[in-house]
Amino acid sequence: MSTPELVRVTIDERDVHVPKGTGIVETALAAGVEIPVFCYEPRLGAPIGACRMCLVEVEGTPKLQTGCTLTAQDGMVVKTARTSERAAQGQNGTLEFILVNHPLDCPVCDKGGECPLQDLTFRYGPGNTRMSFEKLTFEKPIPISPTISLDRERCILCYRCTRFSEGVSEDGQLVAANRGAMSVITTFEDLPYTGAFTGNVTELCPVGALLPTQYRFEGRPWEIVDVPTVCGLCPVGCNINATVREGKVKRILSRNHFEVDEGWICDKGRFAFTHLRAEDRLTQPLQRVRRHGLEAVSWEQAVDEAARLLREARGRIVTVLSGSETVEQAYALAKLLRVGLDSHQAMLPEEISGALDAYRLPLSAIREADVVVVLGDVPVVERAPVVDLWIKSARRNGAKVVDDTNDPAVPEAERVVLVWSGPGGRGGATVAKLAEKLGLAGRDGCGAFYLPETPNGRGVADAWAACCDDEGEAVQSIGLLVVSGDEAAADENVRALAEQAETTIVVSMYGGLAAGWADLLLPGTSYLERDGTFVNLEGRLQRLRRTVEPPCLDELDWISQLAARFDVGVAPYPAAVFAEVSERVYGGLAFGDVGERAPLRFYPDAQEHVGRESLPEPQQKARRGEIRLVAYKPLFSGAAVERTAELQFQRPQPELEISAGDARRRKLASGDFATVGSNGSAITLPVRVNRRLRDGIARVALEHASGLGGIVEIAKAEEVPA
Amino acid sequence: MTFYEEVQEIRARYPEESRSAALPALRLAQEKHGWLSRQAIEETAEALEVTPAFCYSVATFYDLLHLEPVGKHTIDVCTNLPCALSGAQRVVEAFESKLGIRAGETTPDGEVTLRAVECLGGCGYATVVAVDDRYHQHVRADTVAEILEGIDGGA
Amino acid sequence: MAERRVLLAGADERDLTQLAEYRAIGGYQGVEKARAMTPDELIAELEKAILRGRGGAGFPMGRKASLIDRKSAKPKYLVVNADESEPGAFKDREVMAKVPHRLIEGCLIAAHAIESRNVFIYIRGEYLTEYEILAGAVAEAREAGIFGDVDITVHRGAGAYICGEETALLESLEGKRGQPRPRPPFPPIQGLYMAPTQINNVCTIATVPVILEIGAEEFAKTGVPSSPGTAIFSVSGNVARPGNYELDLGTPMRELIYEHAGGIADGRELKAVIPGGSSVPALTPDQIDVPLDYDSLGAIGTFFGAASLIVVDDRCCMVQLAIRSTKFYAHESCGKCTPCRVGTRWMVQILESIENGTASHADLELLDSVGDNILGKVLCALGEFAVYPVSSYLHKWRDEFVAHIEHGGCPFEGSSSLEGILAPSDQHAHTPAGQEALV
Repeated sequence: MSTPELVRVTIDERDVHVPKGTGIVETALAAGVEIPVFCYEPRLGAPIGACRMCLVEVEGTPKLQTGCTLTAQDGMVVKTARTSERAAQGQNGTLEFILVNHPLDCPVCDKGGECPLQDLTFRYGPGNTRMSFEKLTFEKPIPISPTISLDRERCILCYRCTRFSEGVSEDGQLVAANRGAMSVITTFEDLPYTGAFTGNVTELCPVGALLPTQYRFEGRPWEIVDVPTVCGLCPVGCNINATVREGKVKRILSRNHFEVDEGWICDKGRFAFTHLRAEDRLTQPLQRVRRHGLEAVSWEQAVDEAARLLREARGRIVTVLSGSETVEQAYALAKLLRVGLDSHQAMLPEEISGALDAYRLPLSAIREADVVVVLGDVPVVERAPVVDLWIKSARRNGAKVVDDTNDPAVPEAERVVLVWSGPGGRGGATVAKLAEKLGLAGRDGCGAFYLPETPNGRGVADAWAACCDDEGEAVQSIGLLVVSGDEAAADENVRALAEQAETTIVVSMYGGLAAGWADLLLPGTSYLERDGTFVNLEGRLQRLRRTVEPPCLDELDWISQLAARFDVGVAPYPAAVFAEVSERVYGGLAFGDVGERAPLRFYPDAQEHVGRESLPEPQQKARRGEIRLVAYKPLFSGAAVERTAELQFQRPQPELEISAGDARRRKLASGDFATVGSNGSAITLPVRVNRRLRDGIARVALEHASGLGGIVEIAKAEEVPA
Repeated sequence: MTFYEEVQEIRARYPEESRSAALPALRLAQEKHGWLSRQAIEETAEALEVTPAFCYSVATFYDLLHLEPVGKHTIDVCTNLPCALSGAQRVVEAFESKLGIRAGETTPDGEVTLRAVECLGGCGYATVVAVDDRYHQHVRADTVAEILEGIDGGA
Repeated sequence: MAERRVLLAGADERDLTQLAEYRAIGGYQGVEKARAMTPDELIAELEKAILRGRGGAGFPMGRKASLIDRKSAKPKYLVVNADESEPGAFKDREVMAKVPHRLIEGCLIAAHAIESRNVFIYIRGEYLTEYEILAGAVAEAREAGIFGDVDITVHRGAGAYICGEETALLESLEGKRGQPRPRPPFPPIQGLYMAPTQINNVCTIATVPVILEIGAEEFAKTGVPSSPGTAIFSVSGNVARPGNYELDLGTPMRELIYEHAGGIADGRELKAVIPGGSSVPALTPDQIDVPLDYDSLGAIGTFFGAASLIVVDDRCCMVQLAIRSTKFYAHESCGKCTPCRVGTRWMVQILESIENGTASHADLELLDSVGDNILGKVLCALGEFAVYPVSSYLHKWRDEFVAHIEHGGCPFEGSSSLEGILAPSDQHAHTPAGQEALV
């Protein structure tokens, strides 16, 4: 790659050298000068020059120019409001115009104190108003969705939100309507703004027009603390800030890791934090007492009972992990069970493989690709939402997005990136093989991603493996099943295993999941309540911080107590536990050095293949004319989402997605009902034709699939259900 | 040809990835449904392969696309400067009086919508009145009755 | 000087909407001539003719064509701006209705100059009859095999003045809301579908066959040296014979108003002339001894614009004129940039307070100041078009504005010719989506 040509630009009499073509707003920043903006946001595409806030004087041009649409040319001389009266008048005028109809809502507006309009008015605006007529008024606020409310009076029509909807998430639902001063932001009819990324508009909005309903009247900036951490709900691991007031999480904001999430987060990560305060949250250990059911016990009693169960089942203990434990938790558990109790068998919901380590790239590399091959039939957005945004951004950037490695564009392209979304994929081993076949190793900008189902599967698997080298023997009959985490506790297959086991210990946040079958139920913590590390789908080790105290003991606490009973030393502090893991897996990296915005590091000591037993997956390939049903886990599903009232509208409707060709052959149109059957069982669902889906694949959300999967028969329903 | 097929034909006149067919398709939908109802917008969106919100956003920008029911006939009276200087207000009032409605409204029987509009491009032949998009020029208060008679027997 | 029919030549004697008739007077021979030249030669010829854009800006057409990035791998587009919506202008309509083939011929020649195979004519939605005539002529010419490898698509607008602005037109043609784009990049580099695009007004393109017919040198001798050729002048308002008059550029304005258009009607006195369509500074009666060409009008502080004269007599209150004018711009404002969207509405409010007598002297300063905050700060010319006329009314008829304030209301007391004129923005029987009427 050639080095970009540097040019000299003078801003307010300060000289600065930047690559030719750099935006003037950024150039000014480089010179230490602020050019105020509203509509300008480089992540939203080409600047539109709408708000007129960034007016500057450019030598040689008679009219004022918008700084946002200018790019650095050699010898350019720019004057901002600091040194140009005309520019100052222009910016002052813009603010006056904005304030002409803007309501005096500051005292009751959640944006107050973190509001760019307030800040810029203070710095560049008029000190009073000359407007004495009726302001434009609107019905307000109106719910754009259960999670977002819109105040059209506050809206300054900067179009950031509509440009996000059109040009980033590409959902095309949030639009501008009418013309001129009557313009409003709206969705179609009264339909709620639905999608994986809608909440981002509340961060983009520079005023209090689009605001999260959850945060309405919840706090002022001086009453809150933003705790930097990482989201633990999916394997992307977006960097976030948790807004905490008086010991409670009130809001999640993006923290912008330019390689991982670029400042976007999905609505699940943004709004599902209310799971922390779910009504059925366990705060005390529960022990099953014969004929009494589950009874609350003290932690002392719980640890005693756990120790007893563990001792009795020594060597016959099987551990089921959720993949949402921190590295430290997983290692601590591993030490307890493997070193202390000679029980080496553990299960994860999916296979984990280190085979992709040779093809590691930051997610941001997807945007720079020439070709992105998206393999698998699970929609990327359901598994790792932000990856979907990167792929869309790649396509807008000129990349070809294809679904087959045999596509003719692939061999011709310089930068090729593969993305495997599932189902299956052997933890990444399959796509690694494909990458090998294509010769992607070592090539600039080339790599591969596998989208796991668990947020920290890799971290957990590495930690479990690192703790000792013994493999032990396969357990014939399970004396004790240790179930860690809600995902495992909610899994039907795990429940079936529990029925085979003599006893069960379950670590879960919510009582409801295992109340029927656990012998000892220990309250779990949320990712927002833990200090520790996660490894995301890039292989990036990231640092989580505790944002609020859990309503129960931290896992490391009781694990270390239990471990002591078996003469195993496990520190109750994540830093100490990490140090042990790091020696074996992360090259000795110190806990405190993991980083606020962690870089993508390479760990030569990490195992190449960390095979864990996984639960069976359908591998059948559909023959011509046949249809394979992909029942995928939707983004808006799971324990946290179920406990967030505002997100229920995002949950997938029962519907069957089929291709245009398959629909036509069965005389089906969107809205018709179809029966889906295999091996004697059948269900009826409304159909939605997806023109982008290829023939031979049908999709349904897991919760509506009634257990169906694999090759199915689809036909128009004889009877339409009531 | 179905509406869907007609729209595909229109789309073929423009580059594939463009949305240039939006305005012609919306006009077609309006002709078919009488106005751009929710259903009309949804049908158009499907045929164009865009979201209904996008269609709605485009439609509300333009004065000739109706997002509310309009009468079978539209009467648009220009009241911009040249026509205004030539007595357009009297023409507006004559229509209002004969139709029994104010400009902006539709007659109760759903026959006629009367509107004041901006410059229609007939300034030298003021006052200009467009009836169902056909221009009547040199309109005066006393020729309004004639125009109304020409519309299906008048109001 | 008499009218000189050039653009409209032959239209009085024959029905030039018919291909055969147009051919009979030598029509489409210019295309053959052009195609025998290279694009570079053709552009040079157009530049030599100094054909200034008749859409309002007066930018030389040949020079615009020379800026087209012909080396681009993308297709080149020719877009004809037939969105004529400037109040006072109605001449493109006549050209399309009477000499559509001349326009088509101009398209084909211009397309050759910029190596374009795709021509779009964006015609305002209200011109239904003209659309049918033009589309019919296009079909006729296409069938006769005149097009070669060029095609012409007539695309109808749907009612938005802003779509007459170049880049807003492109946005509308691309199927979106008609909001202007920031420039640079300019259309010759990135225009329609981000490809190199030449955009010209109907009359500009319709003049091109004339240039091919008589040659650039001869053409450049007509009119005035800085703006050769003829223009069709639309005259409207309080004159005896409003209408279109095709005259050589340089014709004195007084001649147009008093000889061709018959002077002020009904025995009234001339009060004001808005010479370029409603979007330019108005002239007082003592300013009308000026040649009608771009530079001369520019020299006295107004614009040639759309060559459309709106003539105002002494029955008209200038404040009411300002209100009606500003309501037009507020209604047509696309809403993209802050100063125009907010400022036009605010100006209406200030003007209405002056009209109904609740304003103070300070409000005249305020009106000026708001206009100042719009001028030079907006994304496109519409905002400026709102300010130019009003600013001129305020400055040149200031005593009328002051009289409103001191009189506590309109001194015309209901007798103004514009009294009670209903603007479209005032008539909504329903309230626009989501807006509550202020109680």
